[in-house]
Amino acid sequence: MDDYVAEFERKRKNSKDTPVAILAIHVLNDFVSKSNVGTLQQLLEQLKELSRQLKATAGSSTTSVASGCDLFVRFITLSRGQNAPSSEIDILECKGFDPVRKFLVDRGNLFMKRLKDSRRKIAQLAYPFISDGVTVLTVNMSRVVLEILMKAHEKAKKFKVLVTESEEGPLMVKKLNDQGIQATLILDASIGFVMERVSFVLVGAVGVVENGGLINKLGTYPVAVMARSLNKPFYVAVESFKFYRNYPLSQLDLPNDAKYENAEDTKHPEVDFTPPKYINKLFTDLGVLTPSAVSDELIKLYI
Amino acid sequence: MARDIVVGSNARCAALICAVKTFISDYKCPKTKEIRSHLNIALKPCFTYLSQCRMMCVSMENFIKHIKLQITKSSPDLTESEAREELLEACEDFFKENIYLAGKSITEKAVNRIVNGDTILIFKKSQLILHILLEAKAQNKEFKVVVVDSRPDLSGVSSCERLTAAGIPCSYVYINSSTYIMKKVTKVMLAADALLANGYVLGPVGTAMMGLIANTYNKPVIVCCETYKFCERVQTDSILYNELADPDSMLKTLNAEESPVAGWRESPNTRLVNLVYDTTPPALVSIVITEIAELPCSSAPVVLRRGAVKM
Repeated sequence: MDDYVAEFERKRKNSKDTPVAILAIHVLNDFVSKSNVGTLQQLLEQLKELSRQLKATAGSSTTSVASGCDLFVRFITLSRGQNAPSSEIDILECKGFDPVRKFLVDRGNLFMKRLKDSRRKIAQLAYPFISDGVTVLTVNMSRVVLEILMKAHEKAKKFKVLVTESEEGPLMVKKLNDQGIQATLILDASIGFVMERVSFVLVGAVGVVENGGLINKLGTYPVAVMARSLNKPFYVAVESFKFYRNYPLSQLDLPNDAKYENAEDTKHPEVDFTPPKYINKLFTDLGVLTPSAVSDELIKLYI
Repeated sequence: MARDIVVGSNARCAALICAVKTFISDYKCPKTKEIRSHLNIALKPCFTYLSQCRMMCVSMENFIKHIKLQITKSSPDLTESEAREELLEACEDFFKENIYLAGKSITEKAVNRIVNGDTILIFKKSQLILHILLEAKAQNKEFKVVVVDSRPDLSGVSSCERLTAAGIPCSYVYINSSTYIMKKVTKVMLAADALLANGYVLGPVGTAMMGLIANTYNKPVIVCCETYKFCERVQTDSILYNELADPDSMLKTLNAEESPVAGWRESPNTRLVNLVYDTTPPALVSIVITEIAELPCSSAPVVLRRGAVKM
């Protein structure tokens, strides 16, 4: 199992562009196809343990790795019978574990295929929301948002982007400018000043929780509240594997490993929680959803 | 039930289950008829009588639907006593799964939401909420409770008695001072009589007020409801479908004087309206805890759609 964790670390170093969660799911998929256990229970337990280890090394992407691994395991063991509602795979029907393993590997590959496409699907859904002459406000660096903006630019839309400094804002501005998109870096403190000129806010996500609320880089919550008070739409672009099985009722309700980079330094959180009432729409690879639809989707998967 | 001896949606449903079980055990099917078709006809006047004594609540209605379906679904090959056994088992299973075990599952989830140092506001008396609080105390959590009570039944008093007997520090206020006390509260826990298909929560009258005030002070509102209480009805206000309780109980004054409206029946301009339920919009509820999952209030229809309710 340690070599898989090492493999995960190596993959992370080499591919900065792929979301960490997808790399984790790659590793899990590999593990399933190469495993030599004899029972489903054993395999699931091993997967759980491996997910836990991957999560521990994931740093600030803990929530997306956790949700991604969870959804992967859930997806591969879900089999829809013709008449019956979705149920756990009927292992009594298979003789020996090999057909079961084949089924799991097939499901795993299907899941990977859907994932690869997710960012492209989201960009396809979201770019029509950007029309000529809009000013988009975004928080920190998000590869999904970058893809959406690039797609809109490709379709020859003329728009401006304001990026809050946060931690990786300058990197986002550089990437946008490289593509020929007019992007300006603004201070986090100046969102009150600029909000009246903004057409809408579009942010990425570290995770989306059960009630449709958003976990994103520290500083997203104030932007959301500001947008709501000036009646500006607040959109979130997020892949479906980031749907996280948690239901926080307040900022402190988030689990510690989601908030902080290392468990000891609990003074300064990395992320904050935006309640669902501030979010207008979520662009996901499952479609354009409202926050209440997020729990519908999670129920479909888990219950 | 009409004389308020059995109160509360779970208690009333449990009592109905017992009554139906007794009926089924004593029932003798006429020789020319099948138990499947005849039992339903025999039960009908009983249910009519009960609804005339007091309007049925959603939990009772859902049980009746369930048992009627079990009766019509029962196999024609079974003998009468076998069919009776099967139906008695169906009744017991309904109670065990939907009331007893569901209650335990909800308690587990809800107790996780209670942390040390919490001040929890509850409204009047609910068997499920009391169970949650007593279980949290049994797990040695340190918290305080504020019981908000309202007339005419003042059932919050017995809530307070049970909580203080368990050693939980309790405050008792009338609903008039709920805006004052809400500032000091950290969480609000409410029980529901039913969850409607459009996400509205049907609860004892005053629940909506608690939800609204909690929202104003930005306190999370936790509603605990078993899935068997989910119903297909849709209403957006409390007037469309409600129950009127005994108006004379509103005449009880605190200082044993005669109420100024004691002669309300003779006066053509005065009416006493003692509503039993009110509806809370889903936007005011932070989370609904059911035995299946913790859901946002707007997702209640999804549970109905998925057929997760064991109907």
